[in-house]
Amino acid sequence: MTASATQSQPVNMLTAIRQAIDEEMERNPEMVCIGEDIGLLGGAFGATEGLQDEYGSMRVLDAPISEAGIVGAAIGLAMRGRPVMVEMQFIDFISCGFDQIVNNAATMFYRTGGKVNLPMVIRGPSGGYGGGGPYHSQQNEAWFLHSPGLKVVCPSTPSDAYGLMKAAIRDPNPVIFYEVKELYRKREIEEIIPEGHTVPLGKASVRREGSDCTIITYGNPVYFCLEAAERLASENVQAEVIDLRSLLPLDEEAVIGSIKKTNRVLVVNEASRTCGFAGELIARVCETAFEHLDAPPMRVTREDTPVPWVKPLELSVLPTTDKIYDAALRLVRY
Amino acid sequence: MKTERSATASHAEKESGEPHQTRPRDLLQNADLLELLDQLYLARYFDVRLIKEKRRGRLRGTLYSSHNQEAILVGTLFGLRPDDWISPVHRDMPAFFLKDIRAGWDNPSRMGMSIGEVCAQVWGKATAPGRARDNWSHIGDSSKGIICSTSMLAGTIPVAAGIAYDFKLRNQDSVVLTYNGEGSTAQGVFHEAINFAAIHKLPVITIVENNQWAYGTPVELECPTKDVADRAKGYDIPGLIADGQDVLDVYDNTMWAVERARAGKGPSIIECKTFRAYGHGDHDDDRAAKYRPEDEVGEGRRRDPLAVFKQELVKRGVLSQDDASKYSPEFKNAAETTDEDFPARVVEYMKQGVEFAISSPLPDASEGTMWVFAEENR
Repeated sequence: MTASATQSQPVNMLTAIRQAIDEEMERNPEMVCIGEDIGLLGGAFGATEGLQDEYGSMRVLDAPISEAGIVGAAIGLAMRGRPVMVEMQFIDFISCGFDQIVNNAATMFYRTGGKVNLPMVIRGPSGGYGGGGPYHSQQNEAWFLHSPGLKVVCPSTPSDAYGLMKAAIRDPNPVIFYEVKELYRKREIEEIIPEGHTVPLGKASVRREGSDCTIITYGNPVYFCLEAAERLASENVQAEVIDLRSLLPLDEEAVIGSIKKTNRVLVVNEASRTCGFAGELIARVCETAFEHLDAPPMRVTREDTPVPWVKPLELSVLPTTDKIYDAALRLVRY
Repeated sequence: MKTERSATASHAEKESGEPHQTRPRDLLQNADLLELLDQLYLARYFDVRLIKEKRRGRLRGTLYSSHNQEAILVGTLFGLRPDDWISPVHRDMPAFFLKDIRAGWDNPSRMGMSIGEVCAQVWGKATAPGRARDNWSHIGDSSKGIICSTSMLAGTIPVAAGIAYDFKLRNQDSVVLTYNGEGSTAQGVFHEAINFAAIHKLPVITIVENNQWAYGTPVELECPTKDVADRAKGYDIPGLIADGQDVLDVYDNTMWAVERARAGKGPSIIECKTFRAYGHGDHDDDRAAKYRPEDEVGEGRRRDPLAVFKQELVKRGVLSQDDASKYSPEFKNAAETTDEDFPARVVEYMKQGVEFAISSPLPDASEGTMWVFAEENR
């Protein structure tokens, strides 16, 4: 393992992720990393920087541009009992490996009657706000949440990314890991990661306590929600902000528990609206906590459009602090 | 049917610098040859029996007959080691029990599925390898080196490459055989997987069963090259062509590719020229009679693999003319055959599998929501 950057000084999310993968590679000599440009280059963003020097080109494998071939090969490796980390250079490109993920990996344990499980993590940089345009800005988790057999996570802090990456690699199932690239190097969120830190899949985090409404979110919008909550406080509205961290498994207890307290819920995510995870969350709230609601559940999502390139267009379709603030006010004043 | 070797087909000779002096088949004993014959009978009888059961309405799902293509399955599997892996697809049902069957048809510890397990799968019973969660050929067993495939053809080749990559990491000289029709060689993932396997010289052998028809589309609308094996040129790997009706030619080509792969020299494609006896699936028999010209079907089925092999055995004096004509299912459609057309050993073996399937319970409905996720952490 390369010199530990964690545990002594604050690290950004990218370093935390790199460190978690490094430590798991060291812990389990069977583990393999595979992806485009992850070895010699160290990854387009540097998430695997130095790993090939450390573990060799056999275990940190530079793959040709073949997402379906890469995921398929990872399935074979996992079938032989090896944990596999697959990097998608951008999570947008995961569509090229879609069949292998949803029809092969996701269903393997089910189809074999519980005999063949696949310990693999497919991770990659996701999300908008960086001017990436339609193919470098996606937050396409809904595709995989809709495919039984996959776990899906999307952390928003360095320590959550570190802890969830370790949990995901050790999980016996395929996990799709969304890394918000706009948070990779964000200075303001750097933090010291305690030694032995882990975060279990399926546990939400309350990022701000409040009693007037619950804002459920994950990924980059967590920070917009926290900003909006600060502004709401000046209007005497106390918003509770829950960062889901894991979308599947979902911490339904944390969500419902908060709504029972606040009686109002706003869901915020940056995926497009129709059939998005925000809609699913609201459906679950209505099914299990309808009698606790004092207002119709609301959502702030991306518009039902691709993510456009230039800033004014991009912000016009993505959730922003202003949009969240306005929605929350409407919610509490309903 | 084309049986001549193309430029790529002579790769074996090119690499060794001289034609094969001793062919793998030359090392087979008479007992091996007779075992090969019994396995051909078994593969045919399995298919015939299931066609009859299906017509009686006793089976669910679609039957993709391997009739006329048995020499490919028997010939490719005969020389494998127990530690080798395979990934059969829809038309390869007999492969599941033919794998490692040389270790003994009834040997419970052999590295292949039992005839009972395979029949339980066809009957959709709880004793099937995947507890009947997906139909027919979609079964696998990692403990026996069998990859569970999906309906997305060619989609298992990258998985095979991953397993082969694991062998390479372990310095293990096992190989993986993947089965595909000629149609699925047009899939993007076919290219992605073989490209990857060729780059890393992985021990993956892709068996292309070119039966001339991909459902309702003829091979010339699926592949632009004269032979499907020509696709190998793009990866600088051998593209062999075997006579899919001749079990010994299939065996020779397979063993050459297998030994090459074991030596770390990488993947091969073996195109086995054959012809699909019936429709794509049993639902397609009537329509296939319309879209496939009658004379083409007649020509394609002219060289029944059982007849071709028996003729060879008689020529070699391994089988007497009387013994050769004792059982004669060749050139007959399933409905025209009777149990008397097959050796008693074969009929009994299948009977045992069918009885196991029939006496097995259906999966309990409560299983429907089970095993979506594995529980234990590693």
